[in-house]
Amino acid sequence: MARSPGEIASLIDRDAVRDSLPLLVPAVPFGFVLGVEINDSLMPLLFGISTSWTIFAGAAQLAMITLAGTVSAITVVLTALVINARHVMYSAAMAPTFAKQPRWFRVLGPTVLIDQIFALSLTQAEQPPEKFRRYYITCGVLFFTMWQILTIAGVFFGSAVPESWGLGLAPALMFAGIVVSMAVNRPAIIAAVTAVIVTLLTLGLPNRSGLLVGALVGVAAGYLADRGPGDG
Amino acid sequence: MLSSVLQLVTWRIEGPVMGNAEALFLVVAITIITYLSRGGMILLLAGRDLPEPVTRALRNVGPAVLAALVVTFVANPDEANQGVTLPEGLAVAAASLIHWKWKNLAVTLVLGMIVFWVTRELF
Repeated sequence: MARSPGEIASLIDRDAVRDSLPLLVPAVPFGFVLGVEINDSLMPLLFGISTSWTIFAGAAQLAMITLAGTVSAITVVLTALVINARHVMYSAAMAPTFAKQPRWFRVLGPTVLIDQIFALSLTQAEQPPEKFRRYYITCGVLFFTMWQILTIAGVFFGSAVPESWGLGLAPALMFAGIVVSMAVNRPAIIAAVTAVIVTLLTLGLPNRSGLLVGALVGVAAGYLADRGPGDG
Repeated sequence: MLSSVLQLVTWRIEGPVMGNAEALFLVVAITIITYLSRGGMILLLAGRDLPEPVTRALRNVGPAVLAALVVTFVANPDEANQGVTLPEGLAVAAASLIHWKWKNLAVTLVLGMIVFWVTRELF
């Protein structure tokens, strides 16, 4: 049965829209860059574009599109595996929240568990399950739809955003803000600061694996700091 | 009909193109890997009570991973630029302070970018 516009509007979580919009802006140049790379890649165009609705993971897509045809297929797959490894940590961190959700959502929800949606939805983990689900789905639909539009736009109009704007920095600024809002106690602050230092020290590692090393050491440091008195 | 569809699938604006079979393998393999990395732990752990040390460790995943991502985004290790410039560092520090003060992501983004543009001109 078709839903009325009013019913559809009631499914949209306004908090999710408000929180997502600033994070959608930095995705614009990234989506454009991806579109340009798809056009320059050795991969057939529609296969390249299809990665946005099948894989839906900007960094892994970019690596795959760039490497496709220039190295062995196994190398491309292993590179994507390393880049996506951080999602395993997202998945583990979200597991307790998803445990309160129906099975269909536990199966479908992870398809859109990208960096931005992880960061946004983690701030909603204590909400009632239905509110969390509506928030997560609204974010997911917004980011997924936007990503498809950006990919196509990037293929055809990718060179329109001037590099001099430096919008590549925008995601880092947003994520810095989200880290600050998460760092509410000593273990979390120690985890974040340690992750920053270790990631800086391991930047030279291939395939962005310094990111994983930094994150894992940060989690361990936060865990050890959690044993002290007064840590919430 | 089939050849027309294949032509559409393999079409590109310009330049050489890789084979359909290899392209299909890459898309399917990386789609599966991506889904399993995102959904694996959710599906495995759902409905189970995790040991207390595990939940304690998981609490720090968010701040640690996102902080590491900030560094990765700024330093951009996939490209020639493998460091953090002074304007970039100042912009991230300013964005952190701005968000701590106002807790609004749009304000954080706009003011952070302004700090970046201004300091880039100064240094």
